[in-house]
Amino acid sequence: MARPPKTLSEQIRAMARDWPAFEAVQFSPRHVTWCGPLTPLARPYMVTIDYTLVSGTARPEEPLAGIPLVRVLSPCLEQNWNVLEEAPLPHVYFDSADISRSALCLFDPAMGQWSPADLIAFTTIYWALDWLQCYEGWQATGRWFGGGRHAPRLEQAQS
Amino acid sequence: MNSRVLRYAPLPQALALAEDLLIRTAIRIELPPSLHELAVRRFEAVRTYIERDGSPLKDRVRIFYPQGSMAIRATIRSRKRSDGYDIDIVAELILDPRLTPAQILDLLFVAINGEPGSRYHGKVKRQSRCVTVEYDDDSRMHLDITPSLLIAHDDPRLSQIFHAKPEEPAHQHRRLIMNSNAFVEHVRAATPIDLEFRQRYAKEAKRYEERFLRIRADADVVPVPSHSTIEGGKSASIVALQLLKSNRNERYRSRKGVRMPPSVMLSRLVIDVARPGSSLLEALARSCQHIIDTLQAAEALGQCVDIRNPRCEHDRFTDRWPEDLRAQRIYIEDLLLLRQQLHVLTNGQLSLPEMRDLLAQMFGEGPAQSAIEDIAELHGLAIQRPAIAAPARISSIAAVPTSARISGGRAPSHSFYGTPWPGRPKR
Repeated sequence: MARPPKTLSEQIRAMARDWPAFEAVQFSPRHVTWCGPLTPLARPYMVTIDYTLVSGTARPEEPLAGIPLVRVLSPCLEQNWNVLEEAPLPHVYFDSADISRSALCLFDPAMGQWSPADLIAFTTIYWALDWLQCYEGWQATGRWFGGGRHAPRLEQAQS
Repeated sequence: MNSRVLRYAPLPQALALAEDLLIRTAIRIELPPSLHELAVRRFEAVRTYIERDGSPLKDRVRIFYPQGSMAIRATIRSRKRSDGYDIDIVAELILDPRLTPAQILDLLFVAINGEPGSRYHGKVKRQSRCVTVEYDDDSRMHLDITPSLLIAHDDPRLSQIFHAKPEEPAHQHRRLIMNSNAFVEHVRAATPIDLEFRQRYAKEAKRYEERFLRIRADADVVPVPSHSTIEGGKSASIVALQLLKSNRNERYRSRKGVRMPPSVMLSRLVIDVARPGSSLLEALARSCQHIIDTLQAAEALGQCVDIRNPRCEHDRFTDRWPEDLRAQRIYIEDLLLLRQQLHVLTNGQLSLPEMRDLLAQMFGEGPAQSAIEDIAELHGLAIQRPAIAAPARISSIAAVPTSARISGGRAPSHSFYGTPWPGRPKR
C-alpha cells in the first residue's frame, strides 16, 4: 500500500528540526524554497531546495515536477571540459539558461528512490551532500566516483 | 601497557579531513614496509659480500646497523636521485685507527665495488662520508654505508666516522665523533605510543601498499612479505617528522647546490616536543613551531644553531648546516610558510582541489594528487556501497540532525542520475 505524501507543513517542520541553519520561504500553499549551507568536506556551499507539491500521477512531459530540486548558489558550480568523465558538469539536469544553476540529479526516478512520502530532510539533503562531495572529487581528479547513470539521449530513446 | 598511551581524540570535520589527507600524503612519501624489509635484506647482502673471501675487509666488520631515518622508521623519498630512497647504514669496522679518513673510505669502496663483472661493480660511489650502492630496479633504493671505528668498548657504538672529500687536500679531511645508536635509543625512549593513531596509520599504509605498490626487486634478494602492520605502525611525531623532511626536500628541490637542514637535527627537535595522544596535525604544528623557535633563538643571538646528540655531546648534528646566518634564515622562512599553509589547510574554507594544490606546494605534486584521488574514490565508494565507511565523514554546518541520530546516521541509499549534456557550446 502506497504511503501518503508528506504535507508541505510536515516537510517544513522536519527541515526546521533537523537542519535549523536552513531558512524556508513558502511562496504558495504548494511551494516552498529552502536556503542554507551544506558542508560536504571542508568548504561550505550555499544551496537552495525548491519543492512543489503536485497532485496526481507523474507526468512524463514534466520529469522534474514534484521532486525537490537542489541548486548551488555559491560558490558557483564550475564547468570543466578537460576532464576524463562527466564534462562539463556531472549528474545535473542541464539548465541551458544558466548551466551553473542546473539542478542536481540526486536519485534515479526509475528506481523508486524518492517519493513525496519521503522527508526531504532525511533524503534530499544527505544526497546533496553526497553529490557535493563527489563534485569536489570530480573537480580534483576529473573523475566521478559516485556512480549513477544518465537518461538516454532523445535520439537514442526514439530509436 | 605503556603509561603514556592516550586516546586519539576525534577532530572537527575540517581538521579531520586535513588530518586524513596528511596521513595519506605521509604514506605516499615514506619507505613502504615491504621496501623496508627489502632494505634490511640488501644491507645484510652487502655485509656478507664485504666479508667474502678475498675482500680487503674480510673479518673486519664488527657490526652493520641502520642509522638515522632507517633506524627510526622515518625514511622518505630523497630530494635527489630521482626521488628514490636513501637507506643509511653504519659499517663498524675493525681497522688500524692510524689509517687516514680517505684510506678507510677508499677501503670500503674497494671492498664493495669488487672486481669488474662482480655483483656491485660499477654501482658503487665514493662519497665524502659514506659509500653509496645504487640498485637499478623499480625499488629506487640507495644504500649509504658509513664506515666507522669503535672508540670505547665500554660505551657501545661511540664511534669515529670520517670526512674525506676526494677533491679536497688531505689536511681538510677529518674524524668526527658520533653515536647514532644512542640517539636512536633516545628517540625510541622519547617517542610516545599513540596507539590509536598508530593503528589507523598502519591500516592505511597496509591498504595503500596492497593496492598500489608493485615492487620488482632484483634477483639477489629473496621475495619479501607484502606487509607487516607492525612495521607500518608509527607515532604521530615520527610521521610529522616525515612530513617535515618532505616539505624541506620540496623547498630545496630547486635550490641547486645548497645544503639542506640535516634530517638528524629535525629528528632531535621533533622528539624534543613529542607528546602522547597527538593527532598528526598537532604533532606537525607543534614540531614546526619548535624548530622555528629554536632557529630564531639562535638567530636573535647572531649565531647559527648548534644541535647535538643528547646522548653524546661531541656528536654535533649541525656541523655542516647552517653554513651561515643566511642559510639559517632561508629555512626559518620555509617553516613560517609551512605554518601558514597548515593554518590555511585547516580553516575549513578550501575545496578539495584547493587542498590538493596546497598539499602539492607543501609536499610535492605526486603524493598530494594521489592522496586526493584516494579520498575522492573512497567517498564515492561509500556512497555507492553504504556499508563502506567514508573517511572524514560529512555533516552540515548545522547540528547533527535528529533524524540521522534516530536512524543510525544513514539516509536511504540512492544513485545519481542526470540528463546528458545536450551539446558542446558553439565556438
